[in-house]
Parts: sequence; C-alpha cells; structure tokens
Amino acid sequence: MKKKISLFVLATTLTITMLTACGGNNEIANGGKTQPAGGNESAETKTLRFATWDTGDALKIQQDIAMKFEASHPGTKVQVEAYADGFDQKLAAGFGATNPPDVMYMWDFPTYHQSLEPLDSYASEDKDLNKEDFYAGLFNYGTIDGKLYGIPAGFTTRVMYYNKKMFDDANIPYPQDGWLWSDFLDISEKLTDKTKKQYGFGVRAENDTYDLQGFVWSNGGSYISDDGKTINGYMNSKETAEAIQMFGDMVKNGSAVLTGGKGQQSGEDIFKGGKIAMWESGIWPLESFKQAGIDIGTVEMPAFPGKPVKGVVAESALSIAKDSKQKDLAWEFIKYYVSNEAIKMRVADLPVRISVVNELKKDQDPLYKPYYTMLERSDNTPAFLMNTKWNEVNRQLSAAVEAVVHGSDALDALNQAVKDSERYLK
Amino acid sequence: MAQTYPQVAGELTVSFKPKRKRRWGGVVPCLFIFPWIFGFLVFTLGPLLFSLIISFFDWPIVGKVRFIGLGNYVDMFTDDPLFWKSLGVTLKFAALFVPLNIIVALGLAMLLNQKTRGSAIFRTAFYLPSVISGVALAMIWSWVYSGDYGIFNYFLSLLGVQGPDWLNDIHWSLVAMVVASLWGQGSMMLVFLAGLKGIPKDLYESASIDGAGMLRQFVSVTIPMLSPTILFNLITSIIAAFQQLTLALLLTGGGPMKATYFYAMYMYENAFKFFKMGYSAANAWFMFLIVLSLTFLVFKSSEAWVFYEGEMKRKPHKKSKPDGRRRSA
Repeated sequence: MKKKISLFVLATTLTITMLTACGGNNEIANGGKTQPAGGNESAETKTLRFATWDTGDALKIQQDIAMKFEASHPGTKVQVEAYADGFDQKLAAGFGATNPPDVMYMWDFPTYHQSLEPLDSYASEDKDLNKEDFYAGLFNYGTIDGKLYGIPAGFTTRVMYYNKKMFDDANIPYPQDGWLWSDFLDISEKLTDKTKKQYGFGVRAENDTYDLQGFVWSNGGSYISDDGKTINGYMNSKETAEAIQMFGDMVKNGSAVLTGGKGQQSGEDIFKGGKIAMWESGIWPLESFKQAGIDIGTVEMPAFPGKPVKGVVAESALSIAKDSKQKDLAWEFIKYYVSNEAIKMRVADLPVRISVVNELKKDQDPLYKPYYTMLERSDNTPAFLMNTKWNEVNRQLSAAVEAVVHGSDALDALNQAVKDSERYLK
Repeated sequence: MAQTYPQVAGELTVSFKPKRKRRWGGVVPCLFIFPWIFGFLVFTLGPLLFSLIISFFDWPIVGKVRFIGLGNYVDMFTDDPLFWKSLGVTLKFAALFVPLNIIVALGLAMLLNQKTRGSAIFRTAFYLPSVISGVALAMIWSWVYSGDYGIFNYFLSLLGVQGPDWLNDIHWSLVAMVVASLWGQGSMMLVFLAGLKGIPKDLYESASIDGAGMLRQFVSVTIPMLSPTILFNLITSIIAAFQQLTLALLLTGGGPMKATYFYAMYMYENAFKFFKMGYSAANAWFMFLIVLSLTFLVFKSSEAWVFYEGEMKRKPHKKSKPDGRRRSA
C-alpha cells in the first residue's frame, strides 16, 4: 500500500511539474511579447523583431546595421530573425498566429499586403525620410491599390557577366552595350569547347520566371495583359515563346550548359571555375567572382533587333506588420535602415538613394554602370503585381520553362501552361 | 447451460473484492499513461480531426477563411492536372518500390539467417542506414548520384558504361529514388529476420528428409510460414511508398519536370509553398482513403495467401503435398 501511495504521489508530481513547466514557458513567451508593447517607460528594454531572408555576408551586414541602431537608440534591442529559405513559411506562420515580426523584408506584396501596415502617412509626414532621394521606380514595387506598403532598402538589376580572359584567349572583342542576342549566340558558340567542358553560357535548370521577364519584355512580349486579367495570347505569345526558346535551343545545340540542377554545380561556381564565359545574374555574385580571381566585365543585356532592351528589378523592401504593437519604433528602425549611413553599409546589393550613388560614384564605375543603365530600362510592371492569383499561374509557367530548358518546344509548353492556369483567373 | 450458471455467479461474487482493489490500482497506471494520452489527444488526434474540418474550407494562412463544403475535393478531381500527375508518379513509385523492397529485405534477412561468423556485424551494417536521418541520407545519395563526380557513374564507367545524370534525367530520376529508398529498409529486414528465426527447424528437417531441395524448402516451408510477416511488411511498405516525401524534397525537389513529384510532395507544396491549407488537408484525407482501401484490399486478399499456424484446416492440406512427392520419388 505504501508503495502504491508513493507511486501515486510520484505520478501526480510528474504530471503537475509537466503542466506547470508548460505554463511557465507560456508565461515567458507572452511576457517577452507584451512587455515592450505596454512599456512606455524608457527604462524598460524594448525588443523589436526584424525578419530577413538574407544569409551569410548579407545577413552579417544587417546585424551590423541593427547593432548601430541599438547604439543610437538606448533601451532598444533589435532581434534579427534570419528565416533564410524558410522565409515565406515562417512569415506566413507568424501572420497566421498573429505574432509576426514587427519589421520584415518584403517583396511579395500582393500576397501579404493585407497583413501589412500602410506606410503612406509615415513616408509623407516624416521629412527625414527624404523620399525624393530614392530612385522613383522602386516605390512602385511596394504599392498595392495606391497604398504604399514597403520602403525600398536595396535592389539589383540583372546584367551579363563575362570572363575577360576567355574572350582574350579566343580573340573575341568584349561585348559592348547595345549588342544583339544574335551577337551573344555567336560568341557563345565560339567560346564553347566541349573537349574542355567549356561553354559560352550557362542556363539554369531551375529558373525563376520572374528573372526571365526582362528577356520576354525585351522581345516585346509579356506574361500577362496590361490589365492583369488575361494570359492567353500573352504568356503563350510568339514573342514570349521566342525569348524562352532561345535558352532551350542553346542547351540543345550545346553552346550552353545546364547548371544548378540537383547535385549539379551552380552556374556561379562553373563561372568561377572559368568553364563558362558568360553568366546572367544580379549583383549578388559580383563579390565572389572578384574573390575567385576572375577578371570580369559586366555589360547590359543584349537586344532583340529593333526592340528596346528591358530589365527587371529585384528589390528588398522593408514593411511593418499590421499586428505590430510598436509601429512607431518600427518606423524609426526602417528610417535608420534606409538612411545614407546604413545604405552605405549594404554592399551586397545596390544603393537605393541617388545621393549615395553620386557620392560613391557607383554609376561611373564601368563594372557597376550596367546595373544603372538596366535600371533605367526597368519600367515594366512585373506580372506578380498585376494579378493576385499569380502564384498559381506561376506554378504552371515554371513547369513550362523547366520543360523548355529540358528540350520541349516553348510554344507547346506555354500553351499547356496557359490551359492549366486559366481556371485560376476566372 | 444451467449447470454453468451458478459457477459464473460464484465467480462474480468471489472476484468482487479484488475488482474493487483493482479499480483503485487503476488510477496509478492511468496517471502514468496520462502524458502519452494527453500528447496523443492534443498533438495527434486533435490535429487529425482539425485537418478533416479545414479540408472543407478555403483556408489560406494569410487572409479570410471561407467554408466551401466539398469544393476542395471537387477541385482536386476535376480541375487540377498536378493532382493526377503526382498521383501517377506515386503509383509508379509504389509499383516499383513495394515488391523490390520486400524482395531485398527478405533476401538480406535470409542471408543474415545463415549461421556464419560475423553475421552480427552484417546485421548491424545492414541496419545502419535506418538509423541515419533522412536528410543525411539524401545528402549522401545526391553525391552518389552526381552525374559528373558521383561514385555510381564512376563504377559504371569502369564497366564502360556512360551513366546518366541520375537526378536530372527525366527517365532515370524515379529509378534513382527507388534505389535510394530501398537503402533504408533495415527495420523491415529485421522483421523478416525475426520471422525466419520463428520458423521451427523441424519443418526444414522433415522437408529435407522428404527430399526437398533449397528452392522447394523456400517455396513450401519458408514462404508459407513467413506469410504473416510478408503481409505486415507489404502493408507498411505500401504506406511508406505513399508517404515518401523526405527524399523527394531533398534529392530532386520533385523534378526534373515533375518526374519525381510525389503525391506527398504535392500536398506539402500546396500547404507550405502555396499556403492552401484547406486544399492540402483535402489532399491528405484523399491519400488516407487510398492507403486505407489498399490496405483493405491487401487484407482481403490475404485470406487466400497468408497462412497462420493456428489454421488447422489448411495445415493438412499443405502437408499432403510433400507426402505426395515422396510417394512419386
């Protein structure tokens, strides 16, 4: 009997400890959250949560900026939350649980704008922001139904990188702004030497359809009609198909190699290894190319004959969550984040402020100049901003593009994609 | 009947006292299993039922939740080519994986059942892959399968064969997935091994006295005696085949061109890439129905091929065969 009682006591204590442990955890979790919200006294430490998708060096820069902000705002702690590849999942989960980070990186405004705080009043009332100093086009990306939801913090356009040594070895002159896609195809073919596993260009096995829009626009095509309602006749138009087919053909005829598939080397790595002569990307790999000791040049994208070159901008903006309980502090943080001081620290992408660009003479540097000429060419509206169901359509479009780089006919694949995605646009 | 009646009543009265005691004693075990029951209710049964509920809703994580009745289920069948595509891929995978898995596991178990020195080492070695986490396993296989630098293609090149880029080849990637999945079947092998050890030796002795060779012994003794174990492994294999996600997610990402886009992957993407929780829950419940009906079919068919020792009706039937053989020999 005694034994039984002691067992009983043991079990109860175990259960109670377990339950109280849970309760205790909850309290801590809630305490951390409510404290800064109710804390008007400056003596209390306020914690500001900031979510980013950056990793590695780019993340380090953001942590540095956050630390500087902390230094200039005593009693504030910025908790940098690096969501990396899981950004969308974690952010969506945060919104779903009404416990989102106060400030976050943002690009997919159509999906999230309902959960974000409109920033128009902040941006226009706060003279310190100096909105006129930003490249004007950058605000378009964060504007939905006339309301501004994101302040641009960094951006990049896409340019063509080339390996100068490989051009010299083959006695081919460097490409110049204003070159044509036909020139590009010629050069690719000349620089391909299969015995050395060397190729003129690398085509990604998995493309982000967003990045391909520049080529499609350059050929006078688009994914979607200007009113954002129709894809039939746009996504599967002759111009759109031609632009995408070009890359499929290059893989087929061997003047380009398929890169970055599962277990394959990434295009950046092959470029660094000196095995592909030209590579198309944003500014992200520039630093690593330099470090790899490649003598690189950059040039704006080639043109289709008689048509203007168009580019696409990849932008990181900052937004405030609607559910944030310290929006004023969040705004202070954003303002600091896009101040000249902080923007100069962001070397992983391009400065959003004209004054910073002028001061650093970035647009004079031949290596950086093409990014800015491409920016002037980036005045089309990307498809994802034009239809709220774009994610669904893009799922089909991505499959079509993948099929093309694996050898399918572009027009067939795009027709199929249009057929499979039209139900989402009804 | 009338005779047994008082006996039962007597038993009842006798057992009354200990029963009360037992009722008291019942609290302690209950408390001990309470954490598990609690966890089961809150973390398994609760979410399970909740997923059934949300499968009738349009349930995005960000935005408004809307009741749409059977809408998700209807959409799935009538309006989503990816649903059929992924289902097809999964069925193809299961058709390849399930039989191979059973053959390989049984083969390994039979090898281990031999009384040779060092069988314990082999047993550990064969079981080891099951201990490795799926993520690490995927990493290893992605290196093994690499088109240019993979060890698999290196061995093939020694034989003068130029291997494909396994994970990026539309025709070979599914085969690559099957092979990689087969690698982690150690637990199934152990179940088979236990089953093999449970077969009485005298059956083999009498079979060999009857003049049965190795193959004959395998077909007439091992297989029937092992059939309950095969049934168990068959069912768990089918379930595992339908739930295959880790390898697809990490090794191929469903590609190339959806050649390894498993149903579980489709479900996962609907939920965590496109945030259609309701739709994904409907997908999950449909998969449950498929697995349930397949299991049911296998159970139904098992009456015809699974042999339990307790079945007295079948036993003489089976025995008559070797008898007949001896007479003719």
